[in-house]
Amino acid sequence: MTEIIADRNTETPDYDDRFDAVVVGAGLAGSAAALTMADGGLDVIMIERGRYPGAKNVFGGVLYTPTIRKLADLDDAPLERYIAERRYGMLTDHDETAISISPGEWHEPPHNDSYTVFRGEFDEWFAEQAVDAGATLLTETTVTGLVRENGRIIGVKTDRPDGTLRAPYVVLAEGGNSLVSERAELKETEQRGNVAVAVKEVVEFPDDDNAIQDRFRLTGDAGAAYHYFGEGAVGDAFGGGFVYTNGETVSVGLAYRISDAVSGQPNPEGTLNAFKTHPAVAPLFRGGRTVEYAAKTIPEGGADSVPELTHDGAVIVGDAAGLVLNNGVHLEGTNMAVESGFHAGKSIVDAAEQGRTDADALSAYAENLEASFVMRNLRRYEWLMEAVENDREFVFRELPQALADAGTEYFRIDREPKESHAENAKERIMEAVGGYTGAAKLALRYRKIVT
Amino acid sequence: MSVQPHSPDVENDSLEDRLYTVKYEDPGESHLDVTLPGLCAERCTTYDCVSVCPAGVWREGEEGVPEIAYENCLECGSCRWACVHGNVEWEYPETGSGVTYKNG
Repeated sequence: MTEIIADRNTETPDYDDRFDAVVVGAGLAGSAAALTMADGGLDVIMIERGRYPGAKNVFGGVLYTPTIRKLADLDDAPLERYIAERRYGMLTDHDETAISISPGEWHEPPHNDSYTVFRGEFDEWFAEQAVDAGATLLTETTVTGLVRENGRIIGVKTDRPDGTLRAPYVVLAEGGNSLVSERAELKETEQRGNVAVAVKEVVEFPDDDNAIQDRFRLTGDAGAAYHYFGEGAVGDAFGGGFVYTNGETVSVGLAYRISDAVSGQPNPEGTLNAFKTHPAVAPLFRGGRTVEYAAKTIPEGGADSVPELTHDGAVIVGDAAGLVLNNGVHLEGTNMAVESGFHAGKSIVDAAEQGRTDADALSAYAENLEASFVMRNLRRYEWLMEAVENDREFVFRELPQALADAGTEYFRIDREPKESHAENAKERIMEAVGGYTGAAKLALRYRKIVT
Repeated sequence: MSVQPHSPDVENDSLEDRLYTVKYEDPGESHLDVTLPGLCAERCTTYDCVSVCPAGVWREGEEGVPEIAYENCLECGSCRWACVHGNVEWEYPETGSGVTYKNG
């Protein structure tokens, strides 16, 4: 086997039938699967359409690392900053009401397993860990379709000459824009109300070396993750904005539903401009210069949208499987991608030991994912999207405005007694929530966010 | 002290300048298309592909058929979902071409 590998070159690939498994996409899910399978003794090839792993990948910027830490040594990983502060800001068109948390524990390793990273660096590093474990990486190669025999998936077609690769197992880790899985009818194309469009800009401060530590009150490798929602973030759309600190740059961006992007809201770039010039956000970017602009779509259909994960000869992992959590407080996807790749890889190693490729033999993947935090979290918040959609005017517009007004009233300095300020503030909140009855209903409806 | 909060001027780059920050290799032909131009012309009045695009790829064109500046494409795929007529043809740019992000 080693000799054959040495004889190959990427111009005239002859990988057909040489591998136990083909992984479509060397993102975090794909590399987690490849690494797990290589560790399990399988011959694995990862096929990546970008120039290097991560070249086609975009995310907000915070990676949660508990599973990666078990698969690889994070000490060598290209991390930007650990998250020392999380801030949630509600924006009206000119107010901000925010909550911030920065526990001392987050300054201690492993920093709550939360780091900003750049995918162009991190994904390449993670793919290298799979290569070090024995996997083969083929870049600048696009998988264009699947090969089937009697219904079973037995390989992939690529855009290389003679580019068909047959292998007993195919791992579909192609990301949210999952053309291959959809065309093979392994999943349906998602509704546009369940997909977010996102834009991100990475900003540097050429005239201010201390901009990041001063503006975000940071020392050393500490970093900040700010989340924003309300009218000042994404207008009347269902979504939010973010600001994350990297080593020498700051990422700013936003995401909201495609169904909102096509109706009324300015286009994503215009919405980003408005967010960046909000009075609560603009001071963070004074004198900034854009290093890179990026766009991405995010599958946000939740547990309902997760397709059948195992097929005869194939599994679906990561964003391609819709494994993204967005409940307003927790925004997670890359960690779920890694977890899914790990469980998928393990199930393939086990199936290979039995010499089986059928979906039943791979079912441990779906079962273990179901028992893991991935599906448990998705199922826990399944109800939330519908609730917020029904209450969107309240959540994104009325509540931020009422809180800003109540705060203004509560802290008002004049010659009236505090009692009347407090009463006015309370009245403003009560008006927004619909009195005690309305408040009780809301508390009941949203109690599971925090409990 | 002014009544309105005073925001510092934040210079937002033009879309052209923003796109210029992204490393790009032209695949030579468009990876995007409309399936049936007649469908755009006769059935579509909303130009959702234009509204959603973060990169100015899709533009209102003559006779109701959008023009496609595929070299601007950031490969987010949003147009594919935005079009309720399912009329967007979307392929991955081949052999490593298209965008190459460093800070994605």
